[in-house]
Amino acid sequence: MKKHLLTIVIMFGLTAAVSAETIRATVNGMVCGFCATAIEKTFKKQPEVNAVNVDLKDRLVTVTTKPGQTIDDPKFKKLMTNTGYSVVSIDRSK
Amino acid sequence: MKTTTFLSVTFLTIFSLQIEAKPLSYLGGTMVMQENDETGHTLSLDYTFTPTEAFGLYVKQEENGKDILMLTPEINTLIKRWNLPDGQGNIFNMSGVGWAHYHGKDEPALWTAFLADYESRRWFLSYEPRFTWDVNIEKSVWQRARVGIAPYLANYNELNTWLMFQVDHHPSKHDHFVATPLLRFFYKGYLFEVGYQTDHHVMVNWQIQF
Repeated sequence: MKKHLLTIVIMFGLTAAVSAETIRATVNGMVCGFCATAIEKTFKKQPEVNAVNVDLKDRLVTVTTKPGQTIDDPKFKKLMTNTGYSVVSIDRSK
Repeated sequence: MKTTTFLSVTFLTIFSLQIEAKPLSYLGGTMVMQENDETGHTLSLDYTFTPTEAFGLYVKQEENGKDILMLTPEINTLIKRWNLPDGQGNIFNMSGVGWAHYHGKDEPALWTAFLADYESRRWFLSYEPRFTWDVNIEKSVWQRARVGIAPYLANYNELNTWLMFQVDHHPSKHDHFVATPLLRFFYKGYLFEVGYQTDHHVMVNWQIQF
């Protein structure tokens, strides 16, 4: 029994470790296609990133990382600043 | 140097450097744009090498039989940016030193310009004064204002349409004021503008960010 429990715990742990992360950021200053294109291109250049979506209406940038990888808040904010926009808040989920 | 020659070069410099959209993209980004209006045809290329600075090259072929070809490098600097929940405001400076080929001669031209704009998904406002000078011959000022409204709101991967109105003031030209109602279309990193100017020229501009 203990062996089975240990296996289950390890499997859950491994699944969590290699799952992709979804980062949702509320961003100020995004108003046009050039803004969205710039954000997309900047984040897609990052090796950790799998997909990027920009929602101008809700001021939301959603970045999905590759399994087991992440972009920490300082790097995320720096990338956005380099692109010309300001991060208001960041929300993460697996 | 003849005053008329220099004035032609000066005006050519001004017109060749008109930028209606932001003169800066994103770090590592490149923009190419072409403008066609009453002054001639302009092709320009800008590379953003820091978050607040871009270097650009402009080539201009003037129409109206003056046969002036110009190559102008410039530095575009973001002086101040306001990132707001529903919009963005900017103040830019664009400055440069250029050369023009005119009747077998190469002539220098110096200029600086400021661009202040505010853009939301619904509204667009901009004002741009430009100053050019030559120590011995000419000092001139030109200014442009533009207002725009988006009749509907679309996301960036849909076609965005703007109704815009532009006024140019050229104190040294025969037509001091030129007004241009125009349409702007935006789709992702592609911008296209078409308008009709009160001096009976068709204006066509396009810009790609990549």
